[in-house]
Amino acid sequence: MTASTSSLGATQRPAKPRRSPWTIIAIGAFLVITWWAASEEFGIGFDVVRVVNNLTRGASILAEFFPPNWSYLPQTYGPMLETFKMAVIASIIGCGVALPVSFLASRVTTPNLAIFLADRGILNVIRALPDLLYALVFVSAVGVGPLPGIMALVLFNIGVVAKLLSETVDGVDPGPIEATDAAGGNRTQMVRWAVLPQVLPNYVAYSLYVFELNIRASAVLGIVGAGGIGNNINTVRRFFQYDNMSVILIEIFVFVFIIELISIWLRRRLV
Amino acid sequence: MIRFENASVTYPGGVEALKNVTLEIPDGQMMVIVGLSGAGKSTLIRAINGLVPLTGGDVMVDGVSVREAKPKQLREIRSKIGMIFQTFNLVKRTSVLNNVLMGRLHGAGTMRSLLGWYKPVDIEIAMQSLERVGIVEKAYVRASNLSGGQMQRVGIARALAQEPTTILADEPVASLDPPTSHVVMRDLQRINRELNITTIVNLHFLDLAKVYGERIIGMRNGELVYDGTGAQADERVFRDIYGRSLTADDMMGQDAPAAAAG
Repeated sequence: MTASTSSLGATQRPAKPRRSPWTIIAIGAFLVITWWAASEEFGIGFDVVRVVNNLTRGASILAEFFPPNWSYLPQTYGPMLETFKMAVIASIIGCGVALPVSFLASRVTTPNLAIFLADRGILNVIRALPDLLYALVFVSAVGVGPLPGIMALVLFNIGVVAKLLSETVDGVDPGPIEATDAAGGNRTQMVRWAVLPQVLPNYVAYSLYVFELNIRASAVLGIVGAGGIGNNINTVRRFFQYDNMSVILIEIFVFVFIIELISIWLRRRLV
Repeated sequence: MIRFENASVTYPGGVEALKNVTLEIPDGQMMVIVGLSGAGKSTLIRAINGLVPLTGGDVMVDGVSVREAKPKQLREIRSKIGMIFQTFNLVKRTSVLNNVLMGRLHGAGTMRSLLGWYKPVDIEIAMQSLERVGIVEKAYVRASNLSGGQMQRVGIARALAQEPTTILADEPVASLDPPTSHVVMRDLQRINRELNITTIVNLHFLDLAKVYGERIIGMRNGELVYDGTGAQADERVFRDIYGRSLTADDMMGQDAPAAAAG
């Protein structure tokens, strides 16, 4: 029977809802803010024409990067290893602390509003400052070397992992939680057996991601005296040894790439 | 024994899911609750282990008030009541054995269970529970690799691992095909008879209810509208519970043993 196609049974199709005026207002505001930020009078004076015209000016400096001075390579082994060690220690401590902290930052595992808000608040404060500023503060507190770098990275890692993981915890399947509740388990047991197995692959993935970020970040941290390969970057930059700089950059690139390959492989096995 | 004394549940939205229910369920009974969805079947079952808090009256489990129980007492009560769910509620990313061991959490102690160092006796009880539902060979398989019927049997094993006096089953076969439904219902019936565990099951297929329900409770709009044996429950009774004439959708139909007897 196809009688209902046109006659009595068919309900009328709804009219397309009108676009909300807020869409136009939002687009307008976006354009105004962009102009304000870039303009000559109010903003930073961003000018595309000037960028294009001066594009070739950096070429002479870039040329100094080549050919890379490979004889410099052996001098970077020690600092690169230090960077690696800093990243390992900071990742283990940071991700270890982030695990319980992220359970306290989700209403699913922490129904107590006061604890939840306190934990979220602390995490927001930690995330508000960039790692480089932490490094500056810690360098002035405990002196130059890898220790302030590790301390800065630990805070950075807690901020990142706890944020991502607590949002993952928000989205877990509530069924197993109901099951542990019904079996008379307490909250700790519920988190351990109903929630943790569900978020474990994500936790590992976030930890590997943070480890990668640490390798990259410690290159920058060294500039303020917080240890690792960044110290070398700072030195060669000051003496304009760009052929040495390119060796360091290539080395970091290869290193991060290898870590990325390993973490892809690990994630695939775990999820 | 479980006793409802004028028990009522009103949800925050104002929905009265349970209205003044008074009901006694003696030890060892196999009781089936029928009714349309939204009639309050799930609420009735969850009021017994306090997963849904009462807003009026009380439920007594072996003489202990569920409504007045402190969190610790409530966990104590719950540890004696196994629960089986429509969607199984297994942790799919871990082994079958770990899922069944969730039934041993209450007695395991927080520190031990946190580290996963279960006592050998707990593991033994979990294994025996798996044997009882005939699925022990899957103990170390990831739960996600099981079929629906197998998952529900793991769910039953998890409830059994609590060594419960009561089992609550909330639509245990609603996600399963008809033959598997009968396997699971027969498992529940066998457990009820062999271990003398009070078994309370929500079902929406009437023929299943008649076959497996020693006693049938009918619910409509949060109220008890029928209480009798499966044999007494004829079509007229079900029409009354459902408030409409019955259709083929209300029967599972396929290969229901002895279903025609009514």
